[in-house]
Amino acid sequence: MKLPPFEYVVPTSVDEALALLAEHGDDANVLAGGQSLIPLLALRLARPAVLIDINRVGGLDGLSATNGQVYAGALTREYAAEESSVVADGVPLLAAALPFIGHEAIRSRGTIGGSLAHADPAGELPAVACALDAEFVVRSSSGERVVASADWFEGYLSTARQADELLTEVRFPKATAATGVSFDEVARRHGDFAIVALATSLTIDGGAISDARLAFAGASDVPVRASKAEQMLAGQKPSTELFAEAAQQAAADLDPPADLHGTADYRKKVAAALVRRGLEAAADAAGRR
Amino acid sequence: MDITVTVNGAKRSGAPEARKTLADYLRDDLELTGTHLGCEHGVCGACTVIVDGRAVRSCLMLAVQADGSEVTTVEGLAADGEMAPLQQALWDSHGFQCGFCTPGFLMQATAFLDGHPDADEASLREALSGNICRCTGYQSIVDGVLLAAERMRQG
Amino acid sequence: MAEILAERYTGASIKRSEDPRILTGRGRYVDDIKLPGMLHAAFVRSPLAHGKVLSVDVSAARELPGVVGVYTGADVESMTVPGPDLLASMMGGGVPMPEFTLLATDKVRLVGDPVVLVVAESRALAEDGAELVEVDYDELPAVANAATALDPSSTPVFDNLGNNIARPHSRNEFGDVASAFANADRTYEFTVNVHRHQNVPMEGRACVADFDAASGSMTMYAATQSVHVAKMAVAMRLGLEQDKVRVLAGDIGGSFGLKIGASREELAVAAASRVLGRPVKWVEDRGENLTTSGQAREESFDVRVAVSNDGDLLALDVNMVIDTGAYPGMGGMVPNIIEGMLPGPYKMQALGFESTGAITNKATYVAYRGPWASETFVRERIIDVIAKDLGLDPLEMRLRNVVDNTDPPANMITGRPLVGVTTKESMQRVAELVDVEAFRRRQEAERANGRYLGLGMATFIEAAPGPRSAESGQGLMGMEQMRLRLDDDGIVVLFTGQMPHGQSHQTTLAQIAADEFGVPFEQVRVVVGDTDQVPFGLTGGSRSATMTGGVALHGARQLKAKVLDFAANLMEANADDLDIVDGRVEVRGDPSSAITVTEVAHQAGDVDLEVQASYDGGEGGWSGGTHCAIVEVDVETGLVKIERYVVSEDCGALINPAVVEGQIRGGVAQGIGAVLLERSAYDENGNFQSATFMDYLLPTACDIPRIEIDHLETVPLDAHVNFRGVGEGGMIVAPPTLVNAIEDALTPFGVRIFEQHLPPARILELIETPT
Repeated sequence: MKLPPFEYVVPTSVDEALALLAEHGDDANVLAGGQSLIPLLALRLARPAVLIDINRVGGLDGLSATNGQVYAGALTREYAAEESSVVADGVPLLAAALPFIGHEAIRSRGTIGGSLAHADPAGELPAVACALDAEFVVRSSSGERVVASADWFEGYLSTARQADELLTEVRFPKATAATGVSFDEVARRHGDFAIVALATSLTIDGGAISDARLAFAGASDVPVRASKAEQMLAGQKPSTELFAEAAQQAAADLDPPADLHGTADYRKKVAAALVRRGLEAAADAAGRR
Repeated sequence: MDITVTVNGAKRSGAPEARKTLADYLRDDLELTGTHLGCEHGVCGACTVIVDGRAVRSCLMLAVQADGSEVTTVEGLAADGEMAPLQQALWDSHGFQCGFCTPGFLMQATAFLDGHPDADEASLREALSGNICRCTGYQSIVDGVLLAAERMRQG
Repeated sequence: MAEILAERYTGASIKRSEDPRILTGRGRYVDDIKLPGMLHAAFVRSPLAHGKVLSVDVSAARELPGVVGVYTGADVESMTVPGPDLLASMMGGGVPMPEFTLLATDKVRLVGDPVVLVVAESRALAEDGAELVEVDYDELPAVANAATALDPSSTPVFDNLGNNIARPHSRNEFGDVASAFANADRTYEFTVNVHRHQNVPMEGRACVADFDAASGSMTMYAATQSVHVAKMAVAMRLGLEQDKVRVLAGDIGGSFGLKIGASREELAVAAASRVLGRPVKWVEDRGENLTTSGQAREESFDVRVAVSNDGDLLALDVNMVIDTGAYPGMGGMVPNIIEGMLPGPYKMQALGFESTGAITNKATYVAYRGPWASETFVRERIIDVIAKDLGLDPLEMRLRNVVDNTDPPANMITGRPLVGVTTKESMQRVAELVDVEAFRRRQEAERANGRYLGLGMATFIEAAPGPRSAESGQGLMGMEQMRLRLDDDGIVVLFTGQMPHGQSHQTTLAQIAADEFGVPFEQVRVVVGDTDQVPFGLTGGSRSATMTGGVALHGARQLKAKVLDFAANLMEANADDLDIVDGRVEVRGDPSSAITVTEVAHQAGDVDLEVQASYDGGEGGWSGGTHCAIVEVDVETGLVKIERYVVSEDCGALINPAVVEGQIRGGVAQGIGAVLLERSAYDENGNFQSATFMDYLLPTACDIPRIEIDHLETVPLDAHVNFRGVGEGGMIVAPPTLVNAIEDALTPFGVRIFEQHLPPARILELIETPT
């Protein structure tokens, strides 16, 4: 199980990386943390002619908070985000999700941007980005654009990033004081990709839910929001009955895939349980119950 | 590509093929065969080494990416022929059986104890859950690491 | 850790002498071997479960720089001599032998079947070369399960057999089955299924074959449970004289029954080394390991049970079908062991047993830790189901039916005397340790809170080594050999055919020999893994504690007698008056007379201080025990949490308690894995679906609870050796223990479970549609 041969290039600046992407396009893979790409290479399921290693590109990592947003450089390692007070304070949902990603040694190398650009529908970070309507900053040699989360995830392992583009930054909205979050998942083992995961964010103002966000991983070929359930919740007072109804709605709206680890029907049942538990936990966290 | 990596304190230079993983570079080029390959797709943890202070899977990192880094492998744990406290504690606890997963556990536990000297059993088990042992049922490993932590706390 | 008690090593948790190398990264596994000029092998493997090979084009691969040799199935045939598969013929038990070649020539019979061997300067290049080989296949209908295989219209996997029967149907009866059923108050019928799962040692199969053209001899560095079986296979298929083959083994990264002898791939690699005159290494990667190395346990059992209204187990009538996979392995003989062991430690008037073996397009059925384990699963599962139906606590039903340890002993209805079994004690002990009554109260209370707890128990006995045969008076495990020598530097050296791969023999055998000979532990060396030095042997079948422990004990006594005879001359004393204490030979009661063993050894010169010992297992006996699990099932997600796991085990006298407990815990962990996580999954077309560690799931530190172990006081049967095997028991009994606990937790839902693999999705299905 050895990697196939490829040409290896190591840009040290964004511009250099963009020039390489412009040159090689679809023939190239971008190597960030490598925790998903290198297994694909080892299994010879990925066969890029060129591997563009962005790990030595300056200025692509780091976390900062401004203007109601938290900016995560694409090359920010997952462990660094996990240890960051910027994330803990500003994007508690992201903080809650990070420990579910693989294992410590995976998070040592894995990056925020890499995970979101890989876009595994069972991945934790895509669900978080989807729940929070994160924004994706991509650059190419012809300029920069910002892609909304709703437009980013196009299909299984497929995003709005064009072959000549580099994901440079992900912007998450900051949580307010009235927001409670929860991240939970059902996986075969601790650290495995989720069979189903749920990112939950509830904002409760004056005893009523002003903003409800529920995003699943493992329930489709992209991360998906439980839109109808979110609408059911909006404006309502949190209650066990309401949460149970929302859970039924969220599960009913899913058309999940089946694999070795769970049938579609199983995923729907788990989704319902996760919504109920996630809403309870998020409401608790919002401190209003 | 020419690289220089500091491995277990010694600078080592070489020119591995780009597709060679750090694990294969350590094993083939540097003949440090203590690092084992159990799956080569990043699940079993046998190849775990410490790169710049953090535990990483050496099968999921290219050797060329380690250029300029400091790498510690299982061969670097014992100093002057004397086992590190973690190794000693795992010996005392009958930690392992066949020994194939051992280097990965040692390196993961070393990195973990470094950051969590007061770790309890639950958090230790979680930290070790990316390393697979097929022989022991884990209890002897967990006990050995906890024993090491206790001894290290007592100085 | 126990300190050394009473100045004896045996019985104490002596620290392992294997560990200093293993803990410092100096273990030496096959993949660590690097020989001058060494080449690397990779295989082109079948993507199809079943197909005809129409053509093989290796030209592009041959031209790739770095590729040194490319060998098709036909090439390998010309490089080897035809012969039966050694292991299959050893284990086949007289069943029809299919004809096949080392690499596929005319047909492929499973996904991953090796078709072409590519040898190159590196493994990466060999894989590059393998990708360039083009094979044309004509796909045949896959025989994906036993039911298909037993349909006479299925396409034969092996043409010479003409059907897919690995083992023709047979039926045996013990006792009067018909009248036991006719006179029973109640009868039950169930179908119990055990799923396919596999060994998965952390190190896969591996070898380095190094043929020396000048001497015409082959040196093979192998990962094997028996260097001699590997040697026999290599010599036979390469057409070499036995004395031209030497097999060496160093550290081995686990096996659990997988690595017996030399596999088809390893023989092909050896042939390539001979043709090339260079060392060739093959280290199976994880994909190869999961797909092709071997699998076990896929069996179904139609079970009829006769019971009395009071819960007396009167008779079993069982029809077993075993899916042996494609190439012959152990599947053909497993039904024989299951038949013999099915009654377990229970009184029973009659047993009917029939079995059929099916050939399918799956990986070969290999030995996996307690290969006959399904008999325990079936028996212990149905006892729980029936007990609950009768309104009995399963423990009560077990206690009612288990034999007492009597003299003369009760016999299993299948024949063996149940001498010295402590099953009843182990059941009572476990019940005490977990406090079943208190648990039942808690279970009831928690159900009201929507929490579903369950308690399950199961018991097993294992013939490790088993009692002497009542008829022949022979032990079940044959003879075990050992050569022992006092080297001239004073070291007592044990040469054993055991090939440890985690079992700690270098420690445990030294403990026994040190005690018996009278030297410090450090003065004993255990030599393994070299056909030029060690006698024939095999590590497996929970054999070594009794058989090798016994031969070490008796051999050390023999060697001691020989050394004392020689020392008697030196010391001008009568050998009968001498003893060896702590490395010193002395006249009994007169320490001032002592000279060291080392000095005696120095003086020996040409005198040969060596003995050949052999051992037949002595009085033998059973090992066994009862396990208990307490679980909580999350009925919304199907996830199972094991809250507590308690073992009461009797493996006789302990050589090294820490080693024993490690074996038990490791076996239990594999059993837990089998139930909750592990499945060798094939689809209906025979496509293998769990070829990575993301799909074949091994348990981690978060999945295995602390396992509490209580050692029962054994019943000594032999005057000298009462160590019993403990390698397999955990794996044998953990699955029924856990499934019994899960079913108990789901009792409010009316769930009854007749299968072994319970991933979360399946648990929710069972709750929704109780069987």
